[in-house]
Amino acid sequence: MKIECTTNKIKNAIIQAERITGKNLTLPVLGSILLIANQKLLTIRATNLSIGVDIKIPVKIKEEGIVAIRGDILSNLFSNTTKDNIVTFESVDNTLHVTLDNNKSVIKTIPHEDYPTLPIVSGNEFVISSKKLTEGLKSVYYSASISDIKPEIGSVYIYPEDDNLFFVATDSFRLAEKKIKLKQHLDFSGFLLPYKNVVEIIKIFDNINEDITITINKNQASITTPNLYFTTRLVDAVFPDYKQIIPKEYTTTATILKQDFINSLKISNIFSDKFNQITIKIDPNKKVFELLSKNNDIGENTTNVQTALTGEGVEVNFNYKYITDAFQSINTDSITIFLYGNTKPTVIKPVGDNTFMYLVMPMHR
Amino acid sequence: MINNKELWENALVDIETSISRANFNTWFKNTSITKEDSGTLYVGVPNEFVKDWLQNKFHKLILKTLMSHSDNIRCVEYIIVKHEPVQKTALKTPTNNKELPLADLYINKEDNLNPKYTFNSFVVGPFNELAYAVAQAVIENPGTSYNPLFIYGGTGLGKTHMTQAIGNTIKAKYPNKKIFYVSLERFSIDYVNSLQNKTPNSFKEKYRKYDMIIMDDIQFISGKDKTQEELFHLFNTLYESNRQIIFSSDKHPNLIHGLEERLQSRFASGMTVQITEPDYESRIAIIRAKLESSNLVVDPEIISYLASSLEGNIRELEGSLNAVIMQSQLKNKGISVNEVRQLIKNNIKAKKTVAIKDVVKTIADYYEINESDIYDKTRRKEIVRARQVVMYILREDFNVSYPLIGQKLGGKDHTTVIHSYLKIKKDLQTDQLLVQEVEKIRMMFK
Repeated sequence: MKIECTTNKIKNAIIQAERITGKNLTLPVLGSILLIANQKLLTIRATNLSIGVDIKIPVKIKEEGIVAIRGDILSNLFSNTTKDNIVTFESVDNTLHVTLDNNKSVIKTIPHEDYPTLPIVSGNEFVISSKKLTEGLKSVYYSASISDIKPEIGSVYIYPEDDNLFFVATDSFRLAEKKIKLKQHLDFSGFLLPYKNVVEIIKIFDNINEDITITINKNQASITTPNLYFTTRLVDAVFPDYKQIIPKEYTTTATILKQDFINSLKISNIFSDKFNQITIKIDPNKKVFELLSKNNDIGENTTNVQTALTGEGVEVNFNYKYITDAFQSINTDSITIFLYGNTKPTVIKPVGDNTFMYLVMPMHR
Repeated sequence: MINNKELWENALVDIETSISRANFNTWFKNTSITKEDSGTLYVGVPNEFVKDWLQNKFHKLILKTLMSHSDNIRCVEYIIVKHEPVQKTALKTPTNNKELPLADLYINKEDNLNPKYTFNSFVVGPFNELAYAVAQAVIENPGTSYNPLFIYGGTGLGKTHMTQAIGNTIKAKYPNKKIFYVSLERFSIDYVNSLQNKTPNSFKEKYRKYDMIIMDDIQFISGKDKTQEELFHLFNTLYESNRQIIFSSDKHPNLIHGLEERLQSRFASGMTVQITEPDYESRIAIIRAKLESSNLVVDPEIISYLASSLEGNIRELEGSLNAVIMQSQLKNKGISVNEVRQLIKNNIKAKKTVAIKDVVKTIADYYEINESDIYDKTRRKEIVRARQVVMYILREDFNVSYPLIGQKLGGKDHTTVIHSYLKIKKDLQTDQLLVQEVEKIRMMFK
């Protein structure tokens, strides 16, 4: 194999692919990136047997060929270069000669015969803009459970309803739901993307701004653009019928400026205990919305927040982290908190945006 | 012949020596033989990557190895099986956070079936064995043996459990069949919504695409004329193409009030089976099964006490049993009969008592005759019939003694009462009209 191209073109692709390579796997070849030079395209392939990716870049090919090469070495080499220069790859026997800037490296290759193929997925297909996909995933994925004991909640659930695509994630303490409007009417029953793979999807597709094709079957999904093929395993499980736990009525509502609330929460959290517990005390009659926190080793704090309140007075405990998590996907200036006593789930919604909803369980003490 | 597990283990030993250790660990870990079907072996693999790779790279090796171990293998296929997560003991981080009540909400969105209902957890006794047998026949030949299947019985006797279990079993047996479980209420709401959104066609299409429909609580159809019409058309479409339809209801189709005749006759055209209340032995079996599933050992005396004191409804039986289980778990020790008695005293239903006068009045109203005629000595045919039904109901349902019945109904001899009771009892075996009348009268006392 002998190819030549500009550093910029190939740098991102290699760094992206390296992230996917398998670490701590029994098969050493999975820790490598496969470079396939064929006709006018260089295909960079990486997989960890849960995700697989093929990135295609047009390069100048002087000699076709395939090499497998350790991903971390190659990505370290490229991440330390800033100039946009010409880079050449040339395979000689069991080595790959890389000439980059003014350095020349000889890297050992790994037998590529053992490098797995990527599954080609056929099944339901739909087109969505990459921005919408990552927006949906980013709005909810942090709520998914990071343990894989229960795979169905260690994933993001995506399903269509009418012409909306819903993204849902929960770790059973809180739940986030995002609705993304689509131009077409979709008809399939939903699928579960594993949490770890969602993180990678967001990293890769956030930098892309074009329409992508998503193909799904029972166990596998693929995301395709003209120069990228991404495939991931799906979780074959049933997501809980979460709609049943969304409270249908509320006894108290509070509307707050988001930034005010975040600042107050941060101050309150300085004094919270090791469970990050913060108490919200609401008394609509006296127009009081207070955040209370207390730590036996540090001291205690009371913070008042300006709010518009309706309904009954209530006092609820929350985990600070679970509340603040919601703000990363709220872009409006103010939010409304809907409460129903201190044992039922509390709902947080952005004002004037009905596409996002966050549900959090109170702490009991 | 060796079984599949041994076969695969033997084959793996051979494969292990012919490829590198790393390769073996990566590709052959978590694989198994899932089934064998006339010479084709199905190898279960954890995901699509492994499936692809085994197929492309190791297929020849696997086939050759398997053939050397067993003579009747002609080909090998790979299928993805759900990988059971390794049972790690969850790290208990100290948390005061309550969990969202999601635990019991795993319902499959595609078919609406709740996977917790299976025949494994189903207790069969004389009270439901006919229904069970029919259900098995339906599972064997869906759409042809008994179509439609109509299961009826009182509340909390396991109708939903049975219909869902049929759905779940068929789903497991014929993965390609599209099954849909819907309550009549949901169906009706769907229909109304489709009218509201002006999309009646998508509603029709939605239901007509299924290979099997299970409709629960069909009795709520009374008075919903448009829904009945829609159901009628849906029924015809499905029935004509031999697709299985299962209904459940709390009464016989003929007794569902306000049900159009054409639907009535269609419901009853396949197989109509009743689930009755469990008898004593079945109740014991149910309690045992329930205790087993919660890994609890309970004194047989308590079991027989529970079975004898909690009659009827299985749902209530489970409720009382839960209370007992909770209590014994809380105390962390066994529980005595006396404690059980205390615990469930509120759950035991008092024997039905009713004023004889009220029974007479209700029945007289039903037959549209004068209440006083029952007490008189009239021998008019319609009156005699009504009077006999009164006696029968008083004896059978309310356990009133023969002499007392005679005395209260205008000083009749107890032998007259016995005669009437036996006569109705005998007639009930042959006279369908009478059966319906008695059923309807019983409804009025509920």
